[in-house]
Amino acid sequence: MVLNEQLHEMNPAIKFLVVVVSMLTLAWFFNPWTPAIFFVGIVLIQLVCSRINWKLWLLMMIPFVITAFGYLWTTILFAAEAGGTVIWSWKHIEVTDEQFARALSLSFRVIAFSSISLLFAFTTRPVNFVMSLMQQFRLSPKLAYGIMVGYQFLPVVKEEFVQIRHAHRLRGVGDEKWWWQRLFGMRRMLIPLLAAAVRKAERAAFAMEARAFTGEPRTEFFKPVTVRFNDWVLTALFLTLLISSSILGVLLT
Amino acid sequence: MLRSWKLKEVVLMSVFSVVFAVVYLLFVHVGNIWSGFIGPIAYEWIFGIWFIVSIICMYIIRKPGAAVYSETITAAIEVMIGNAVGPRLILSGLIQGLGAEAAFAATGYKRFNWWVLVLSGVGAAVFSFAYGFFVSGYSALAPSYLALMFGLRVMSGAVIAGFGGKWVSDGLLATGALRGYAISLDKRKPSVD
Amino acid sequence: MIKLQEKPIPINTSMVMELSNVTFRFPEDDEPILQDVSFTIHQGERVVITGPSGSGKSTLLYLMNRLYPESCDGILSGSITLFGKNQADYLPGEVNARIATVFQDPDSQFCMPTVEEEMAFTLENLNVPRAEMEKRIVEALDTTRLTHLRHTLIQTLSGGMKQRVATACAILMEPEVLLLDEPLSHLDPLTAQEYVGWLDELQKKYGWTVVAVEHRLDAWKDFFNRRLKVISGGFVEQSDSVVAAPILFNKRNTSMVEETVFEALDVSVELKGKTLLHNASIKLRHGEIAVLAGPNGSGKSTLFKAICGILPLSQGRIISRQTLPGYVPQSPEHLFVTQRVEDEVLFSKRAEPRIVGDLMKRLRLDDIHDAHPFAISHGQKRRTAIAAMLVEKRSVLLLDEPTSGQDEAALNELHQLIRTRAEEGLAVLVITHDMEFAASIADTVFLLKEGLLTGEFNAADVWKDEKLLREHSLLPPIGGGLRGT
Repeated sequence: MVLNEQLHEMNPAIKFLVVVVSMLTLAWFFNPWTPAIFFVGIVLIQLVCSRINWKLWLLMMIPFVITAFGYLWTTILFAAEAGGTVIWSWKHIEVTDEQFARALSLSFRVIAFSSISLLFAFTTRPVNFVMSLMQQFRLSPKLAYGIMVGYQFLPVVKEEFVQIRHAHRLRGVGDEKWWWQRLFGMRRMLIPLLAAAVRKAERAAFAMEARAFTGEPRTEFFKPVTVRFNDWVLTALFLTLLISSSILGVLLT
Repeated sequence: MLRSWKLKEVVLMSVFSVVFAVVYLLFVHVGNIWSGFIGPIAYEWIFGIWFIVSIICMYIIRKPGAAVYSETITAAIEVMIGNAVGPRLILSGLIQGLGAEAAFAATGYKRFNWWVLVLSGVGAAVFSFAYGFFVSGYSALAPSYLALMFGLRVMSGAVIAGFGGKWVSDGLLATGALRGYAISLDKRKPSVD
Repeated sequence: MIKLQEKPIPINTSMVMELSNVTFRFPEDDEPILQDVSFTIHQGERVVITGPSGSGKSTLLYLMNRLYPESCDGILSGSITLFGKNQADYLPGEVNARIATVFQDPDSQFCMPTVEEEMAFTLENLNVPRAEMEKRIVEALDTTRLTHLRHTLIQTLSGGMKQRVATACAILMEPEVLLLDEPLSHLDPLTAQEYVGWLDELQKKYGWTVVAVEHRLDAWKDFFNRRLKVISGGFVEQSDSVVAAPILFNKRNTSMVEETVFEALDVSVELKGKTLLHNASIKLRHGEIAVLAGPNGSGKSTLFKAICGILPLSQGRIISRQTLPGYVPQSPEHLFVTQRVEDEVLFSKRAEPRIVGDLMKRLRLDDIHDAHPFAISHGQKRRTAIAAMLVEKRSVLLLDEPTSGQDEAALNELHQLIRTRAEEGLAVLVITHDMEFAASIADTVFLLKEGLLTGEFNAADVWKDEKLLREHSLLPPIGGGLRGT
């Protein structure tokens, strides 16, 4: 048992459930400490139990930090009445300590959500996630393999997107200056892409049916996705972090 | 619910999701960074783009569940191709999809004209706003600012997802690519309305 | 009604399929696509179904593996008997292990990332016990000689290899009948020939019944021992010949004039740090028809896009008359940006309205000027795209793989189309794998390999050099290609 493999080996469906539960719980707290402690905890767990590219992680965090900043100042500027003492004022705008704490909380919440989302994204193989949803949460095979086949089309669609853009460049469209022109121009892009998608979807569905795929729940798996003891240990770890950050957050405020 | 679905319809939703995921990724990427500086309201006016796939799929396939499934699948595929927002997208996709589905369910899946599509866009907007209110803590914002956000989102849902979805689907129908789907078969039958 | 052709049927002659008086119609259509079709197929036979595009030959194939009528809600009359049982009496998926299918498009027949996972998907569909899966996967990989690809991502494989993997997945089901839906149409000639050889070997070993749909038999040589033809009206008849009849193109005298209209000098293209094209130089003359050929991925389309101004050059320069060459991609609809054929032609800001009427007439677009450009036939789409290019008075036309997937009638039409453009003074450069077509039309041949232009050859000489052609994944044209010279 290798410690830094644990998060990568965790059952994806259970991991998904942990993420969802954490987010829905954090949404109830408006103090800055809870999300902040949770964030630190998640980073610590990830440091110990995973082997991820931290450079890439930092890069992926940048947009979220910017979003968090956006939340911070809008929530300060357009805050709801919250009472408390005024700590800062400018012309007609008055900011109370309560309002500031809430704004801080919301932006930390963005960071906390992002950290747990990234934890999921960095340690989960997409295919295993879908297979696990099918095997643990009884997701219909029709949907599960429908999603898989769509995922396989990603490079093909990307390539086609490039081809169409190239062809459109020759017709002198696609490099419009204004956003509204681009929004309307999207239909020109979309229609050939979607028309090709319809053809591909039908071919792929036929190929699957020709290999005796019926969409019925299956009984045999070549590589079953299992739920092991360690999954419960990790789940307990996450829940402990969630509960303790909730309690600590309330106590510290 | 999925039993009456043909596999090619499920795969169609999935491949459409990929197309939209690619378009979102490669086309609208500029919006993202911007929003950080302007705050949550930056998203509102283009929010409808995220509902469009459910309306297009429902308009084409015309089976119960088309809106919920397609929106959720789109979210799942975005997660699979590495959207960093990750699993929370699946939840919001599901809720938006339910909002879009509500309008079609209310009309008994019998009408697919422009106002049902617009209503569906509004439904998705309302559901997603309620969800955002909870998860993103909108309650900390001033009511007037919230009203502005809500209004923009509903408008965007109605215009971009409702009218836009119809506009794109009708354009696609004209290409003859949708042979074999409910939208083309219904066209052959005398209209219900 | 059925008489045996040429080769005797090997092994035994038990009947695997019987169609009697089958008529089939799609729910959207008023006319049936197949009418009163009756034939039987016996075990071990190698049958090919031919017919022009859109004639219903694929439909016929899909009726044989039970994809139709169910998945399209089609209307079927008559009876289809599979292994002595009416097709309607099978459960969904039940017959598909015994009748396996390989499809045309290598890019849309897989749903899992790796070869192993794809094979596991297939076995899971059949509810094969897990203990047995490993054994069957190893065996199937071994017989198809694909063991080294077991953990490879399917997306990274070439088209030819993808088709082999699809075939291996079919074999994995231990079928009795193998259905093939134009499996070669996306492969280059040499790859196609190799696939046929590989399949021939496997069929001899396992004795499957093979039924293939194909519009051109060239690459199959004498693989088949019986041929059914779908003819107009959706009727099916037995054909006497099972080998390819060479397409007879009209004789062409060169329209080339010694006057350079276009020159690319030392052109290189770099994309994301990779050099896709190294120092290519191309010269085209007034009225010249040239062919550009080479293996898939050798940079042919890159060269086209570079010289018509889509891709930036990292080096070199282009000398052209008023405008750069016009380019028609393999999917002409990628160029389309409007809802009407005529609008499409008039779309360009540089269009000269004076010549539009004449141009549309010459390209036979006047009848369909009001149609939706996506809803017309492939040939019409291409003519629309060409018109949209020529309306800007271009002196060079680039056609990217116009022959791919085309039947005989379409190829003849294309031949005529290109010839006429050249006679009007246009220089035409065509990418194609079809050496019969190339031999019948080209003045000059450019060969490209791994981003390097091997050279410019006189068309009449290049067909004799089998070694040179093979190095570029090409095969010499059947019949020497000397027609028309």
